[in-house]
Amino acid sequence: MTSLNFEPIQLTRGQSIRKWIKDYNPPWIALTILTVLLFCGFFANFLVGDPMTNDLKARQIPPFTDWSHIFGTDILGKDMTARLVFGCRSVLLVTAPSIIVALLIGTTVGLLAGYARGWVDSVLMRITDATLGFPSILVAMLIVTFVGTGYTGVIIAVTATTWARFARMIRGEVLSVRERDFVVLAGILGVSPVMIMWRHLMPNVINTLMVMISLMIGQVILLEASLSFLGIGMSPGEPAWGIMVAEGRQQLLTTWWVSLFPGILITLVVMAFNFFGDWLRDYLDPRLRRAR
Amino acid sequence: MWQYVLRRFGEGFITLIALSFVVFGSVHLTGDPADYLMPLTEAHDQKIYEAQKKQMGLDRPFIVQYWDYINSAVLFDFGTSFVIQKPISELILTKLPATVHLALCGFFLSIVIGIPLGIMSAVKRDSIFDKLGKGFAVFGLAAPQFWVAIMLILFLGGQLQWFPTYGRGDIQGWWPEWHQIPQTLWHLALPSTVLALSVTAAIMRLARSAMLEILDSDYVKFAQVKGLSNRIVIWRHAAKNALIPVLTFGGITLAGLLNGSVVVEVVFAWPGVGLLLLDGVTQRDFPLTEAAILLSGFFYITTAVIIDIAYGWVDPRVRTR
Repeated sequence: MTSLNFEPIQLTRGQSIRKWIKDYNPPWIALTILTVLLFCGFFANFLVGDPMTNDLKARQIPPFTDWSHIFGTDILGKDMTARLVFGCRSVLLVTAPSIIVALLIGTTVGLLAGYARGWVDSVLMRITDATLGFPSILVAMLIVTFVGTGYTGVIIAVTATTWARFARMIRGEVLSVRERDFVVLAGILGVSPVMIMWRHLMPNVINTLMVMISLMIGQVILLEASLSFLGIGMSPGEPAWGIMVAEGRQQLLTTWWVSLFPGILITLVVMAFNFFGDWLRDYLDPRLRRAR
Repeated sequence: MWQYVLRRFGEGFITLIALSFVVFGSVHLTGDPADYLMPLTEAHDQKIYEAQKKQMGLDRPFIVQYWDYINSAVLFDFGTSFVIQKPISELILTKLPATVHLALCGFFLSIVIGIPLGIMSAVKRDSIFDKLGKGFAVFGLAAPQFWVAIMLILFLGGQLQWFPTYGRGDIQGWWPEWHQIPQTLWHLALPSTVLALSVTAAIMRLARSAMLEILDSDYVKFAQVKGLSNRIVIWRHAAKNALIPVLTFGGITLAGLLNGSVVVEVVFAWPGVGLLLLDGVTQRDFPLTEAAILLSGFFYITTAVIIDIAYGWVDPRVRTR
């Protein structure tokens, strides 16, 4: 009978990175797209010219014909390249604040409802359900009616439709975590509810939260683009992708490229966030890996 | 069971009340309709302003106004539109058929395409077919509706001229005449495709994962071991159970489609409720927006309650939760 001999395998740094990559297979294309999005968003003003300048002499130049306007120009002669790159910035400017605020509200509501239970839970969840029960575009429209269009309006509208999803999810997680021994014991030891929520419940839902954020960003981008397209989002003329698609629509048959390119970018970015979210879910929860 | 039904109805009712309160409240807290309706030249004339307020009943306490509004809303009277001086219920009723046609058509498409595709890609897991299906689902969930619509208009409507790109043809109201049917379907083709795209993708994914789970279960394996043909195992034994979650999702989606086809209606100039609602929003027509949102809320919540009850009827475990 041979004795089992466990030699600890020492991996060099390079090997362990390679092993990690092989085991978890990160979505390279999605990560590349997201990096480019961030880079363009942050450094838009260094990369390209002004996206708002009209150049009436260079109107409606088709794409890939003129080196100074690779993606062509629109009806008023604005450079499409500049507008597409600044579009990345618009995406970040809308997404970041609305996701952060929605996250704060949603997490607070979810933690409170899940931890307090009873009538607090009932009331909070009825409100959440009422918000969730709607197609988000309708809620957004309702809000825009009151707040008005433009940057602030979009952020409020997007936040109002997003927080409920976080709240719903967090509450579900909290309900299961709060029954675990360490939470119950912390309660018996006299740890204050706020402390329990923050130090004991929160770290246990953070994984799901990250996945949720990544998947929600895609939805937020789509919603913002739809609102802008409908003319009730970002102000007209802004370099936002949704607005550009709407601008191209006015003379679709002649300036089709004005609609085509921003749409492709929206699709790519949303896809990238969805892929990244799916990957993150598998990565953080190995139990799911088998089922897919 | 009855207890469950009653509880679900009660919850639905409370949600609806809460919703109406929020909608009505947000109109009256964030903007002053009387101020909005004031002619620009007389903006500061306090007397006219007061008279206007009195005439609209805005000087009464909030809760009285709310009660009045709900009382008439129950009788399907939502007042008059600010911009188009017509009763709102009448406006909505004339626009409703177009929206319902579009939603039903899109829903039909996505069920007929999504379910078989999802089941097939689960059965032929990791094949080329499955991969193509996955690619389609990824695209369908990420591509913005309005853009897909515009691209379809550009290629199929503009370049090739195969399909009409706007409106719903000559038909008015609910039922087309016999000779109008082909034309109606023709006009429906592009909008309902766009509407169906994301729903089909979602249904496909759902059907696929439900089917994968069930194909892995003991009773399916047993049926295979018994020597039943693949076709019977898949379609008679497995697919039936895989469809339960899909149908629940389908029901709530139909409600969503009936409400949420605003973007599609705008791009295709489809004369439905969505277009009416957008006009209401852009022209700040408060009563119109209010009514449209309340109605869709009512519709949505009712559907959700009915689906929940049906679900509880099919699956007794749900009732005790």
